[in-house]
Amino acid sequence: MTQENRSGRPQGRPPEGDSRLSRTEVQLRGPFLLFFVSAVVWLLAASVLGVIAALQQGSLAAGPFRGCEILTYGHVAAAQHNLFVYGWGFNAFFALNLWLLSQLGRFELRNGWLATLGGAAWNLALTYGVFQIFAGQQTGFGLLEFPREVGPVLAVAFLLAGFWPIVAFARRPTGHTFASQWFVVAASFAFPLTYLLAQLLILWQPASGVVQAIAHSWFVSNLLLLWFGSSALAAVYYFLPKVLGRTISGYYLAPVAFWSFLLFAGWTGPAALLGAPVPLWIQSVGVVAGAMLIIPVIITAINFHGTLSTEGGWSRAWNDTTLRFVSFGAIAFTVFGVLNAIFAFRGYNAVVRFTSFAAGQEQLLTYAFATMVLFGAAYFVLPRLTGSLWPSAKLVHVHFWATALGAVASIVALLIGGWENGKQLADASVSFQQAAKTGATWNYALSVSAVLLLVGHVAFALNAFGMILKSSAPASAGRHD
Amino acid sequence: MKNLNSLLVGIFLAVAFPFGALVISSQVQLGSLGRAPAEEGGPLFPSREPGLAIQGRAVYVSLGCVSCHTQQVRPAGQGSDLARGYGVRPSVARDYVQQKQVLLGDRRLGPDLANYGARAKDLDAVHVAIQHNGQFAFLYAGAKHEIPSERALALAAYLQSLRQDYSSPEAKLKQ
Repeated sequence: MTQENRSGRPQGRPPEGDSRLSRTEVQLRGPFLLFFVSAVVWLLAASVLGVIAALQQGSLAAGPFRGCEILTYGHVAAAQHNLFVYGWGFNAFFALNLWLLSQLGRFELRNGWLATLGGAAWNLALTYGVFQIFAGQQTGFGLLEFPREVGPVLAVAFLLAGFWPIVAFARRPTGHTFASQWFVVAASFAFPLTYLLAQLLILWQPASGVVQAIAHSWFVSNLLLLWFGSSALAAVYYFLPKVLGRTISGYYLAPVAFWSFLLFAGWTGPAALLGAPVPLWIQSVGVVAGAMLIIPVIITAINFHGTLSTEGGWSRAWNDTTLRFVSFGAIAFTVFGVLNAIFAFRGYNAVVRFTSFAAGQEQLLTYAFATMVLFGAAYFVLPRLTGSLWPSAKLVHVHFWATALGAVASIVALLIGGWENGKQLADASVSFQQAAKTGATWNYALSVSAVLLLVGHVAFALNAFGMILKSSAPASAGRHD
Repeated sequence: MKNLNSLLVGIFLAVAFPFGALVISSQVQLGSLGRAPAEEGGPLFPSREPGLAIQGRAVYVSLGCVSCHTQQVRPAGQGSDLARGYGVRPSVARDYVQQKQVLLGDRRLGPDLANYGARAKDLDAVHVAIQHNGQFAFLYAGAKHEIPSERALALAAYLQSLRQDYSSPEAKLKQ
């Protein structure tokens, strides 16, 4: 980061883009739309499975598809989780990260076919993997459930599809860099490393005994924090100042946020192993790292909420579709960080361990934060790339309210339901069945929220696909603004 | 942070350092852990898994049982695992050295299974439990789903093989 500034542009603010469709954008249009469309298709598939899983979770014996081997809960839940993470989360951030760094580094994507090839390979491998899960070929490790032959394909596909931001960073014409660029480079570089090491030690050359579980917890925390977290933080750092037209408050702290986030994120994994038969020092490292992660969370809170709190930023954010989603995400990240720090500690963690609480925390990070930010970004980027407007304002409203309410409802149900369930299970005189019975209300809320999310996603998909189809109809897709 | 190389080195260290310290060092610490006798000259524990149980683990993994069942007993003071009768002592790393895939699990929609073999009454009770009130009826043939398939037999053998009721150097049983 530099204090000197050749263009005279203020620090803490992304460079002004051209209002016309720039050449950089024309070139990344193809790969971007491929990633985006596949992301939304997977999101829809994941939401349908999410509804089924939510209904089954309430009562295994009375849920839908009872006695159907293919759609048993263990298959549906694993497929849903993987589709949401690798189908939606990765494709969508491939698109957004590529666009972001092209914008910030004036990067012209020359060999775009490589990215397209990577995207195709990624999605084919994913399809194969999900079919294998339903066919009963899963590995038993969360988010590594795909049979092991899928791993190398996904890794190569990632290098083809997800490595462009680093190229864009290397080729940028200016010396100046912006916070979004660091976070995207971190996500694009950290994930493939993590994925390859985890594949190797868990599926190809399994480490001995519980070391597998330690490697797995390390993998999951890296995936969630360094891919989802980092990529989504980059987007917030970009869109807040961009749309509000002002600088990030306390931007000078952003490098500290970046490096402290990197420093602690990789160590937080074992916090998910408290009480497990792994060495105590490893569990303690996880607790400490989870608590220390509050540092970058506080700094990003100062950056984001400070920016939003000056000069009526909140009301402007509320009235702008992109910012409405992005600020929702920024708040969610702060809440996630605080909860993460508190529930890393043994006393609290012991209560909520093995309940839905951890799923609630993950939902907070991957949905309320990352996914909402992605939606906001889509409302900003897609009109520029397709050169047309969103077909229906009503669907935008449906999208926001359904996903926002669905996200809040599901997170509250998972967190509070998890806490109550844990409290009851901590008391050995309450039988397992009794505890499950009292959790029925929360399961009901969970099913309703899954339906809400599905409704929101369908509204979003209709709007987005309508827009893309409209723009590709005429031979030359020019912008009419 | 203008320099890509120093940025990449920083990111690399942020991935590699925790990997080395958490994963590699625990492999060094636990990698050579083997079976141990409960008392001087006694049989080694954990016992070798019967062949049918190994097949049963494949069924367990393939059906995604790990989505709802854990296989770990926490020490006293962390939850009520011992009081609930999930085990007679906390699980220790040595209990898992025989397992090719360690399925600790992180969610209890159903009860813990680390010590299920020791607490299941008999084989019939295991089959009743596997059926989950009909959800897993597809593993059984016959009008009343009373004839277990090969997979159900393997799964039952696996569940019966799950026991952590022996004394281990790290977790002695109280006499």
